[in-house]
Amino acid sequence: MKTRDEFVVQKQSAWSELDSLLVRDRLDGSDLSRLSALYRAVCSDLMAARAAGFGTDLLGHLDGLAARAHAVLYGHGRRRWQTGLGLLLSDFPRKLRESAPFMLAAALLFFVPFALGLASTLLSPKFAETVLPPAALEEMAEMYSKSVSEGRESGTNATMAGFYVMNNVGIAFRCFATGILFGVGSIFFLVYNGLVIGTVVGHVTAVGHGQNILAFICGHSAYELGAIVISGAAGLRLGWSLIATGNLTRLGSLRVAALGTVPLIAGAAGMLLIAAAVEAFWSPSSIPYPVKYAFGGASLVTVFSFWAFAARGTRRRDHEKPSHVTLEDPA
Amino acid sequence: MNTLDSAIDVETPERVRFSFRLAGPAQRAAAYLIDVIVRGTVLAAVWFVAGLFGVIGGASGVGVGLALLALFVVEWGYYVACERFMNGASIGKRVLHLRVVRSDGLPIGFPESLLRNLLRAADFLPFGYALGVLVAFVDPRFRRLGDLAASTMVVVERRQPVLPAVVIRPAVQARELEAIPLKPPLRQDELEAIELFLRRASELNVSREQELAELVAPVFARRMQLGYRNAARLLALLYHRARGGVA
Repeated sequence: MKTRDEFVVQKQSAWSELDSLLVRDRLDGSDLSRLSALYRAVCSDLMAARAAGFGTDLLGHLDGLAARAHAVLYGHGRRRWQTGLGLLLSDFPRKLRESAPFMLAAALLFFVPFALGLASTLLSPKFAETVLPPAALEEMAEMYSKSVSEGRESGTNATMAGFYVMNNVGIAFRCFATGILFGVGSIFFLVYNGLVIGTVVGHVTAVGHGQNILAFICGHSAYELGAIVISGAAGLRLGWSLIATGNLTRLGSLRVAALGTVPLIAGAAGMLLIAAAVEAFWSPSSIPYPVKYAFGGASLVTVFSFWAFAARGTRRRDHEKPSHVTLEDPA
Repeated sequence: MNTLDSAIDVETPERVRFSFRLAGPAQRAAAYLIDVIVRGTVLAAVWFVAGLFGVIGGASGVGVGLALLALFVVEWGYYVACERFMNGASIGKRVLHLRVVRSDGLPIGFPESLLRNLLRAADFLPFGYALGVLVAFVDPRFRRLGDLAASTMVVVERRQPVLPAVVIRPAVQARELEAIPLKPPLRQDELEAIELFLRRASELNVSREQELAELVAPVFARRMQLGYRNAARLLALLYHRARGGVA
C-alpha cells in the first residue's frame, strides 16, 4: 500500500490545478470539463484518504477542495439571482391568488379593527383617547386642518418620501417576519395598525376635516394598506405552516412555506415603494379633490386587477419548486 | 472518522461525502459586531453628506430624505447585497472566514438570502437577537429562525494546508535501531498520532516538542521495555521501524 507521503506527492499537482481553477472568476467550456474531471478525482482521493486514515489535515484539505469545487459545479449561482422582475410580475400575483385564505384572514385582521376604530371614534369622540395619547390626536387634527390645496414645499416632500420608505416598508417586513412565531407577530401588527389608522381617520373626520384626510389618503392607500395586508398574509402563512404541517416535519413544512412567501414579501415591498412615491409627491399636492378621488379609484382597480388577472396562464418557473426540499431518496 | 461535533456531512449526487465545519456562537457574534461597525460607518458617512446638502446646496429636505432612504437600505439590504456579491458572506463573515450555504452545501440564491435576512426581525426579539440565539442553541446546526426558514447554515471556509512530509533528522542510525523491536506493538491510531506529531514537529520549538513527546513516550517505552534519553527521538524511531524502515 502507498504511504501517505507517496500519495500526496502523486496527487499534489492535480489538487493545486483544481485550486487554481477555483479561484478564477471566469471559466470557459474546456476549463469546466477539466474542473469536473478534477472534482471527480479529488472525490475519489478523499475517499481513498479517508479509508487509509491519512490524517486529519489531509482530509480537511481535500474536504475543503471538494466542497468548493462542488459549489462551483452545482451552484449555477448567477442565474438564480436574476429573478427580480419575474418575481414581481409573475410569481407575485400567482402566489397572491394561491394564498387567498391567508389574504382573507389578514384582511379581516386589519379591516375589522380599522372599522371598529373608525366607528367608535365617530360615535363617541372620547374613544380615540383610549387608543392614542391626546397630544398625537391633536397633531393629526392640526395636520389635516388646512385644505391641502396650497401644496407642500418640495424639500419636505423628499424628506417624507424617505421617511415613508423607511417606516412603512420596515413595518411590513416586521409584520411578515414575526409571523414565524406561530402567526402571533403578524396578527399583532395587523390589528394594531388597523385600529390606529381607523381611529386617526375617525378622529380627524369627527373634528370636521374628513374631506381633507380622505383626499390625502385615497391615492396611496390601495398600495399601502394592500401591502400591509399582503405582508401580514405572508407572515400568517409562515406561522400556519408550523401548526398545520401536512405530511411534512415541522421544519420541512416551514421551509416549503417560507420559500413560497418570498414573492409575496418582495411584491409588498414593491407596492410600498409606489405608495411612498405617491404619498410624498401626489397626495399632498394642490391637485383638485375630484382628480385625487379618481386617481384613488384607479389605484384600487389597478391593485385588484393585478391580483386577479396578472400572469394568468404563464408557466410555473422552476425555482418555485425548491430543489433542495425533497423527500428522502425513495431508492 | 470525523470526531468534531461541529462538522456536518453533506452527500453529493455522486455519493461522495464531505464535511463542513459549522460556525459557532462566538464566531458569529464577532462577525455580527464587525458588520455593525461597518454599517454604522456607512451611515455616518451618508448623514455627513446629507448634512452637506443642507449647508451648501440649501436642499436640506432632499438630503434628509436621501439619508432616511439610506438608513432603510442599510438596515434591510446590507446582508442581502453582501451575500449576493461576496459569495454568501458579509464583510464581518469574510473577516472570520464564514460563509452562508444551503443545507445541502450549495451556494445560496436570492430567495434564501432575502428570507434569512428579513427574519432577523423575528430573531432579534425581544432584544439583541435573544430569540435567535436561544433557537440556535437548541438546533444541532446552530441555526437561528432565519436559517431554519431559508434552510441555510453558516459554515467555516476551510483552506487547510497539507502538512509537510515526515522527515527524520538526523538520519536514523543502525545503532539507534538495535533496541527497537522489528515490529513495534503499536495500534493504527497510535501510529497516526505519532505521524501527526512528526509532521508538526518542524513548527514546534524544541522544548515544546519534548514536552509533547514526554506525554506518550513513557507508555510506549514501558510496553516495549525500552530505555530512552530523548522522547521525541524515540517516537521518530518507533515510527521509522513501524513503517518498515531500516538504517
